[in-house]
Amino acid sequence: MVIADEGQLIQSSRKGDLDAFNTLVQVYQRQVYNLCLRMLGSAAAEDAAQEAFINAYRRLSSFRGGNFRAWLLRIAANICCDELRRRHSRSAASLDATLEAGTPADVPSQLAGPEGEALRRELGRHLQQGLAALPAEQRLAVIFRDIHGLSYEELTEALGCSLGTVKSRIARGRARMREYLMARRELLPGQFRLEE
Amino acid sequence: MLEVLLQFRHRRFRRDLSAYLDDMLSERARRCLEAHLHSCQACRQELAELRGTVEALGSLPMAEVPRSFTLAAAPVAEVRPRPTARRLEFGLRLATATAAFVLALVVVGDFAGLPGGGEEEEGEMPAMLAPAAAETQRAMETAPAETPESAGITEAGPPPEETPAVMEAVPVETSEPLVPGITDVERLAPEVGTGVSEEEYAEKEAMEGAEVEEEAEAGAANLEEGAEAGAWEAQAVADDEGGLSREEAVRWLEVGLGAAVGVLVIVWAFARFQRSIGNRP
Repeated sequence: MVIADEGQLIQSSRKGDLDAFNTLVQVYQRQVYNLCLRMLGSAAAEDAAQEAFINAYRRLSSFRGGNFRAWLLRIAANICCDELRRRHSRSAASLDATLEAGTPADVPSQLAGPEGEALRRELGRHLQQGLAALPAEQRLAVIFRDIHGLSYEELTEALGCSLGTVKSRIARGRARMREYLMARRELLPGQFRLEE
Repeated sequence: MLEVLLQFRHRRFRRDLSAYLDDMLSERARRCLEAHLHSCQACRQELAELRGTVEALGSLPMAEVPRSFTLAAAPVAEVRPRPTARRLEFGLRLATATAAFVLALVVVGDFAGLPGGGEEEEGEMPAMLAPAAAETQRAMETAPAETPESAGITEAGPPPEETPAVMEAVPVETSEPLVPGITDVERLAPEVGTGVSEEEYAEKEAMEGAEVEEEAEAGAANLEEGAEAGAWEAQAVADDEGGLSREEAVRWLEVGLGAAVGVLVIVWAFARFQRSIGNRP
């Protein structure tokens, strides 16, 4: 979602208008929170999202124009990567906890009935586990592209790398996700079961 | 060979499948891939699986936020004091560069033989000590060493092998008009290896510093008496003492600067690490 007067809101925010910045927060908070949710799990997503907006407000002067969403998501991505590094240094055993906590519990159901709900949860769990098994940079690329729907141009800004690197990370991330899901194809819901 | 080439092309097409799904291939690459897909069942299968993976990922719904993330109050300024850090970093860089430059100068100067280095000092010493060396030569000639001629000159009589001979030679030396003979003999005796008793050596070693001063005083006294050799020797002794102290000073300077550079590099690396974290948007 892009609001018509985003540039004006950014300018006002730079001058210290907190209301203008909070309007931007309301526009992008869902995307920032979901990025943190997919990267860190629900336990840490809330704090990471809040930290991202605080950092964004502090660093508004460094925003040189361009795509505000990509700039904001890059801040959130950096916070997520820092948190993952901290976790990795603390203990490698936290991966399982992240996987379990990473599945959103309050996702509105898109499949009818209790069976559909169970299948949806099963698919979400497998996808989240597959994502968590990816290296952080590939995970970011896949989440940005296939879940958030960022364009490749936005991806170069959000990931801070060249178009070729973006393509490579997405391709490798998708390939590993495909292998992960194919190894568990019998566990997937029928409608998402990949044809052989 | 053909199989290897086909495998290589196959791997390249597999790599392009993701970009093909997003329509991010050039027209030519897209046509090539489609032609390959037409003939390659494995790639068609992989493309279908990849498409299913992307669709499954796209089906993941976006969660609702658990609460609003709007800010109640404007956050305080940047956590890290950036300008101070920048000034500190600049100062550290400057100090590091200066220390490294000075260290390089000292080391190069030391090896190139500029003043302050021990080797060149030694090279210069013979010239400065030439009169003293002549005096030394004379003393050696007068001393009852191995040559029978020296015994003849001193007319001291006893064979050179006997220790008392040197003891007797001392008065002969002192009887010369160049009075610093006593100090000469005292200094030459260890070199000759005979002539002074062990007790006297121990005394001399204990009184080394005092002797240097005495020698200087003796040299000054000899100057008054017109004994140039004594003055030169006193100067030589003083120069020798000064050269040693400079050498030591240079060595300590090298050690100190090396340690300073090491500490500064560590501090600078730490500051740079902190800054690299802070550079993120």
